[in-house]
Amino acid sequence: MQRSSIFTEYLDALAREMRFDVPLSRRVRREVEDHLWETIANEPNTDPIEAQRCAVARFGDPRKIACQYAASSFRRQTRRGGVITILALTGTYFGMKGRGAWYGFMQWGLSDHLKDLVATWIAIDLNAFRMALAIGIIGLGYIASRRAPMSFGPGYRRQVKGCVALCAATAVALLVSVVTDIVITGLRLYETRLPAAALVPVLSIAAEVALVSMLIAHIRATIRRIAFASSLLM
Amino acid sequence: MLKGHLDMIVLAALASGPAHGYAVIQEIRRRSGGAFDLPEGTIYPALHRLEQTGLLSSRWTAADSGRQRRVYALTRHGRRALANQRAVWRRFAVAIGELVGETSHAAVQHIH
Repeated sequence: MQRSSIFTEYLDALAREMRFDVPLSRRVRREVEDHLWETIANEPNTDPIEAQRCAVARFGDPRKIACQYAASSFRRQTRRGGVITILALTGTYFGMKGRGAWYGFMQWGLSDHLKDLVATWIAIDLNAFRMALAIGIIGLGYIASRRAPMSFGPGYRRQVKGCVALCAATAVALLVSVVTDIVITGLRLYETRLPAAALVPVLSIAAEVALVSMLIAHIRATIRRIAFASSLLM
Repeated sequence: MLKGHLDMIVLAALASGPAHGYAVIQEIRRRSGGAFDLPEGTIYPALHRLEQTGLLSSRWTAADSGRQRRVYALTRHGRRALANQRAVWRRFAVAIGELVGETSHAAVQHIH
């Protein structure tokens, strides 16, 4: 493999500017490195050092190139956030409905002293889920209606932050819904004598927790990426 | 002006077959007679964006030099998008030509 300190410095600078998306920066580095060597291979009569300097200069400012990649990277990131939000909302919905159907099928009743308590938690659960659904729909509409520009700028950063804020609000409401689901299921399991039948609600709760965790992890990753990409605008 | 048509230019450069980024840049230079000497770094983000929107596909191949090389190709969706953009561009070019006195009115009528 050929080596050049001029190319290495340039590629390092490009990778640094693109730290908002590490897998993409690795791919771009390999691709640009090939381009730079191809450029000087097609100029055999030029002084090698001068040819390398010219190749780097012609390729352009790493920050400007990173800004262009950032636009498409955040487009994909926000759309992925939309998909994870849909998954978390539908997963929680079917989890709740599935548990309800399972309790009915197993004739899994509640003692009188727990009925009122569970009813209160169910009301909190339903309202939290409705709120998550409403914010989620607004968020998905917002994500679908935004168009990514050719280059990452302050305007697009505001749009991405808007998407993240809506996803975060959905995640908070959904988290409340899942926590109340855990409490309700816990109360039911507290007085159950059917440990095998308890497996279905426990698994459905575990699936809900996994989906909400995935949404929160995605939001955290996007916030971190925005912070890295913001340095491109300074 | 050129920036607004960058996607169409890149798609057109790939119309003759799959190519890597460097070859795309050379093809744009060659076919424009050197008129479009774009900053080389702008082509790669454009290729990536077009790939994300499904107009291009790409894969790594091994070049003769032994280096890994990313080769891009038009997808079916990309060919359709290029055909649409070409039709729009031709109408636009004829209309502008008519406006500045380069094209006959009959040609404009023919396009419509």
